[in-house]
Amino acid sequence: MEEDKTNSENPLKVNRRHFFSQLSVGIGSLALGSLLIPDLFKGGPAPLASQPLGIPHFAPKAKRVIYLFQSGAPSQLESFDYKPTLAKRMGEDLPESIRNGQRLTGMTAGQDKFPLMPSAAKFAQHGKSGAWVSEFFPHIAKISDEICIVRSMHTEAINHDPAITFFQTGSQQSGRPSMGSWMSYGLGSENQNLPSFVVLTSRGKGNSQGLYSKLWSSGFLDSKHQGVLLRSGKDPVLYLNDPDGISRSDKRHLLDHVSSLNKIHHVETGDDEIESRIAQYEMAYRMQMSVPDVMDIKKEPESIIKLYGEDSQVPGTYAANCLQARRLAENGVRFIQLYHQGWDQHGNLPNEMAGQAKDVDQASAALILDLKQRGMLEDTLVIWGGEFGRTNYCQGNFDPKNYGRDHHPRAFSIWMAGGGIKPGITYGETDEFGYNIVKNPVHINDFHATIMNNLGLDHEQLIYKYQGRRFRLTDVAGNVVNDILT
Amino acid sequence: MENNVPDFILFLGRFHPLVVHLPIGFLIFAFLLELYGRWKRDNSVSMAIEFALLGGAISAVVASALGYMLSLSGDYDESMLDTHFWFGIATTIVTFFAWSIRSGRLNITKLKGMKPNMASLTLVVVLVGITGHYGGNLTHGSDYLVKYAPFGREEKVVLPPIDKLEDAAVYDYLVNPILDAKCASCHNSSKKKGGLSFQDSIDIKKGGKNGEAFIAGNVAKSEMIRRTMLDPHHEDYMPPEGKTPLTDEEKSILTFWIEKANADFRVKMGELETPEEITSIASNMLGLEDVTGKSGIPLPKAVQVNEEILKDIVGAGFKVRELIFESGLYEVVLPPHFISSKNSDELDGKLEKLLPMKDNIIWLSLKDNGVQDRHLKTIGQFVNLQKVELEKNPITDLGIAEITGIQSITGLNLYETKITASSFDNFIKMKGLERVYAWGTAITEDEVASFAKKENRPAIIMGM
Repeated sequence: MEEDKTNSENPLKVNRRHFFSQLSVGIGSLALGSLLIPDLFKGGPAPLASQPLGIPHFAPKAKRVIYLFQSGAPSQLESFDYKPTLAKRMGEDLPESIRNGQRLTGMTAGQDKFPLMPSAAKFAQHGKSGAWVSEFFPHIAKISDEICIVRSMHTEAINHDPAITFFQTGSQQSGRPSMGSWMSYGLGSENQNLPSFVVLTSRGKGNSQGLYSKLWSSGFLDSKHQGVLLRSGKDPVLYLNDPDGISRSDKRHLLDHVSSLNKIHHVETGDDEIESRIAQYEMAYRMQMSVPDVMDIKKEPESIIKLYGEDSQVPGTYAANCLQARRLAENGVRFIQLYHQGWDQHGNLPNEMAGQAKDVDQASAALILDLKQRGMLEDTLVIWGGEFGRTNYCQGNFDPKNYGRDHHPRAFSIWMAGGGIKPGITYGETDEFGYNIVKNPVHINDFHATIMNNLGLDHEQLIYKYQGRRFRLTDVAGNVVNDILT
Repeated sequence: MENNVPDFILFLGRFHPLVVHLPIGFLIFAFLLELYGRWKRDNSVSMAIEFALLGGAISAVVASALGYMLSLSGDYDESMLDTHFWFGIATTIVTFFAWSIRSGRLNITKLKGMKPNMASLTLVVVLVGITGHYGGNLTHGSDYLVKYAPFGREEKVVLPPIDKLEDAAVYDYLVNPILDAKCASCHNSSKKKGGLSFQDSIDIKKGGKNGEAFIAGNVAKSEMIRRTMLDPHHEDYMPPEGKTPLTDEEKSILTFWIEKANADFRVKMGELETPEEITSIASNMLGLEDVTGKSGIPLPKAVQVNEEILKDIVGAGFKVRELIFESGLYEVVLPPHFISSKNSDELDGKLEKLLPMKDNIIWLSLKDNGVQDRHLKTIGQFVNLQKVELEKNPITDLGIAEITGIQSITGLNLYETKITASSFDNFIKMKGLERVYAWGTAITEDEVASFAKKENRPAIIMGM
């Protein structure tokens, strides 16, 4: 209580509005004015602070999210969007009426022809739903009745960094909080010994693009909502283990003293980030105990290893990360973000993509099956997808056995499963060239709104005020895609 | 009243509420000066009183004239208007009278010794008060003054609370509250703008001077809804600028009432075919079950849980999260491994602590915490549970029998427990049960297959 008092009286914590409202109480004549017109000095409607954070706006279906991000943008035309027309019209130039002025990246802007290129991978229909899935993904094909394929995603960005930043933060410019941070901010933590937002990365052999910690940054939100990157191998978190000669009680003493110094500093400056820093020291201390246990996949039985594939025993692979993701989910982590790099096939697509698919296919499907048998799929929302799609025309030399595809923002495919998403459906449609969306487009803002909806959050109400304006993950757009909800 | 009054007259009439405050000010000021003058005799005070009275009298004439012009609009209740009118005239006349006495122009010998100045001014102030009161009633409605008064408040007819949407009379529970909130400030028994009042069903059926307020079954011709749908800048748009417009939901309800309920004043929701949208809006308005709004999961009603109780439960090691803001419905999680062989006797006490909020828990997770059959007896009292996670606990078929009374459970997680196929009968008894997770139990795929052939519910989900 003592602390709260100093907090509220700290001159640095008074903002302009607060200042004026205080003023109005102090001066008699103004006070009368504010009596007659109660709102005179209030400065607009009361902020949404009346609803405490950590409580959903309406009944949630999902409790957590596992986002299997395929960094680099896997081609929709070799995965989930089957376009036989491309084979029939192979090599023909993409009609201008279809391209319709779409801007191109610097990589193909110089091409004088845009020859249509069919998929090197064969397609077949799978499951009761008859979903089209390519031969690159035999395991995902088998679970097609558990997933919802969205073939009508679209974005505005045409290059990796803005596109992935858009997906993660709702804005092409960096600096906004990551999705996971928003969820942590909106829903709070379920396990005080683990961060509520965890990041795991892996890398395939394909052409890959960089990943930056800004993608899981908490932006202007409190830094305790930042994603925590866990490394593969012996030390999931660097310097987590105590050095030789330092006992756990020594560490405790150290932290207590650091914390009391920090508290003094906080009283002096009123900077809330100091409190976050204290909380993070404590979190790290608790993680020393919790993380090694959660990350130890040696306890997994043979049947589970088999389900996820042999790779799951090799730390740092996508398969191992999927298994980790399930373990983190079981332990109450709200948002688990995986990235698998290597999906940027500007050339040598058939080969590279087959390799990438092999990395992720079995483990992605295994994760769904494993969550399902544990009864966790119903409250875990799993998302699989990249930052944009790839062009239906060939980049570079025209060779049906070894071609490339450039970036394509106008239409691409992702899939989602569990957590209130209708299983066994395919949503949205592109034209026969797979270039433009002709039915049920889903923008990234809509995608975010839908995810938040399933977690019980109203994307229009989860707001953070910063630098004089109110921010949302969906900013000023976004509609919940009700058609794909259970 | 036929409206053949020139617009310009009506325009001037609208200045009545403005001008009318001038004589009020003059006259009360005169009265105060009179009081002051009794305390301190001063000739200039005397002159000031005379001036204030003259100003009051002249402005009262102007105000009366403007008031008459305003009354020609026919927007006001006639009997109340009459009272205001005559009191206004009386005030004006008495003011002239008081001025005459004060200025010495009128000298009635009989009144000598009766303090005529004070008496006449007191009468003026009383008359101003009465006239002003009736004027206020005309403008704001007769319950305006005392609406928030701490005394003598007229109790509104309170509708009996209902549990089910089907029991709600469309007009009483849905339409009338909207009209009350958004329309009745100008259309009531004393202030009938456009001759229309929404006071009661008789008034509404009567309509206004522009005809019927509604035509049953015809939204396009029903003025009371048509005007709310216009472009807000349209001349006929209702409510007029400055008043709170109707929300889309409110418009939907009115439309529904006129179109689907045939503007019947008695019909109940249950007797009508109700589109989902209306059900949802209506449930929201009445605060019924569907607080879920967009998610569509039916939820029980629960009283809020006392902070102390919550603190106690959190102190016992449970993670408690309210699932929807202000719903009083909670998710309660005991973190896995919280109970081990070392403290296995603590679980009984911990579960006892949950009893004060037993009706508030809808998601309960006790996975991997040494839960035994006897604990399920306690859990059997949690009648509003929807999702129950009991996996990885040494519970048997006997334990399941303890919770068959909870009809609201939809999902039951029992993987890696000691249950067998004998629990199938108990699953069927739980009428709401849709999914059971039974991987890693004694239950076999064959048993599940033959169960699925006979029963269509619940789905028993096994491993891969």
